[in-house]
Amino acid sequence: MACLGLHLFFIFSVCVRDTFSIFATTPTIFSPKLAKYWRGGEQSVSAALGQRLAASNPVRNAIAVYLHGAGIEAGYGFFAPNVPNNYKLVFELHYADGRMEYEIPRVSSRATGLRLSGLLDQIADTSYEPLRQMMVKILTYSVWQDHPNATSIRAVFGIANLPTPGDFAKGQKESYEPLYVYDFTFRKADPKQEAP
Amino acid sequence: MRNLTRRLEFFLFPADSDHWLGILRIGIAIQVVLYCLSLREDWNDLFSLTSVGLIKRDLTEAVLSANSHLIPRIGWLVDAGAYLGVNEQTVLTVSWWTLVLAGFCLLVGFFSRSAAIVAAILHLCAVKSTEALTYGVDNFTTIGLFYLMIAPLPDRWAIDSWLSKTGKQDQHLQGFHRRILQLHLCLIYFFGGITKCAGAGWWDGTSVWRALFRPPFNMIPPELLIVGKGIFPALSVSVCLLETGYSFFIWSRKTRFLWFAAVLAMHIGIGLAMGLYLFALVMITFNIAAFGPGFAFSWKRPNGPAQMVSPGKATWFAKRLLARRDATFLYRC
Repeated sequence: MACLGLHLFFIFSVCVRDTFSIFATTPTIFSPKLAKYWRGGEQSVSAALGQRLAASNPVRNAIAVYLHGAGIEAGYGFFAPNVPNNYKLVFELHYADGRMEYEIPRVSSRATGLRLSGLLDQIADTSYEPLRQMMVKILTYSVWQDHPNATSIRAVFGIANLPTPGDFAKGQKESYEPLYVYDFTFRKADPKQEAP
Repeated sequence: MRNLTRRLEFFLFPADSDHWLGILRIGIAIQVVLYCLSLREDWNDLFSLTSVGLIKRDLTEAVLSANSHLIPRIGWLVDAGAYLGVNEQTVLTVSWWTLVLAGFCLLVGFFSRSAAIVAAILHLCAVKSTEALTYGVDNFTTIGLFYLMIAPLPDRWAIDSWLSKTGKQDQHLQGFHRRILQLHLCLIYFFGGITKCAGAGWWDGTSVWRALFRPPFNMIPPELLIVGKGIFPALSVSVCLLETGYSFFIWSRKTRFLWFAAVLAMHIGIGLAMGLYLFALVMITFNIAAFGPGFAFSWKRPNGPAQMVSPGKATWFAKRLLARRDATFLYRC
């Protein structure tokens, strides 16, 4: 029974932590003034889950392994509190002769397409710039491997503005605008990136 | 206090058949096999550091290490293969086949426990090494495999149970494991529901429109979708109420069937309208296993005709109650 109690405590705590995190970082029906309380709550629960301990701490590691092993390391706020925007990644391939081609990420199946969509959401949500840049770079690298003669690739990460039902009925379609743009150059032996 | 503790024990250890476990085993096994088949073309590209892949696992695994170095990942298998002189591509191919085989073994209930453990570890490695490309369905499959690992397998529909000819599993142990799944499912829906309730879009129907309009979930042509825009507000408020109220109304005999049927209909709708077939399958599996046939929750113990059976048939829970000095009687509320 103690094991069950601990298991349910972990599920509950992770859910509460992620709910507080969602409330603190995204627009909700609650007043924005409450954000600091949500953040404080999230930090307290994170501490209860051992996430404020040192990375090498055995308790923190044991909890992390258990949470991941049981599939309970994340909350369940799918499409909440609002359905996220749609994101797209377009690649401009530049060649030595001045030619330019356009590419988008390629997948073998619809299942992988769904996963790619989740990855683009994650890239948009990533606030740590070097990590976001690295994720875009890896996606760009996979395109470069198909087009090794390209001298440089510009990756354009864009956000879609989805129309409301009323606007759509009036003929308005979704429109995309660039959020982040990175220029990359790769060499066969030593992949190298230019400053974006 | 003692009375409360005993009531809690009766709540947590109800007598239950193993039908729920059979449903969970078969549903999750189908999920594992479909997961493998859906990624068959991309499997090696997803995990190989040398192939043309969408995203390299070394980045995902580096991010994973920030959480803990001890979380299983494909990199461990590749490193073990390298130590034995087996190259990366072979390790990845063998991993895929092993996961498919474990899925099939789990499906028919052949070496159920071992199959559940192998499937859980390999699936976890795969999911963690592609964390950036995962979504809810992978988490739920991990949860299902975790419960299968610890549940009292085999169930009566498993080949193992025909081969071993062992007696029935302890019904209270079955009930206990089913109860864990039920409580977990209630938490999933409750928190999923209240986070949706906090979004303005779920009260005016915008979120349903956006969810159905947004690529890659746009299975229904928008021209057709716009015809039904009048029902979006009712539909999205219903989703909020269904999810938030699940934890409360699924237990009551009067509302159970309504909630159960409505939640199944919601998942079928999500599966068909948004193309999230695997997500729908895993949620339907969880619901049927947790609150489907055979579930009859009551705070009162059922009465039935007395039947003399061998003392050896006493279950673990009964023996435990017998052994407890303070469990002589229970105060009526």
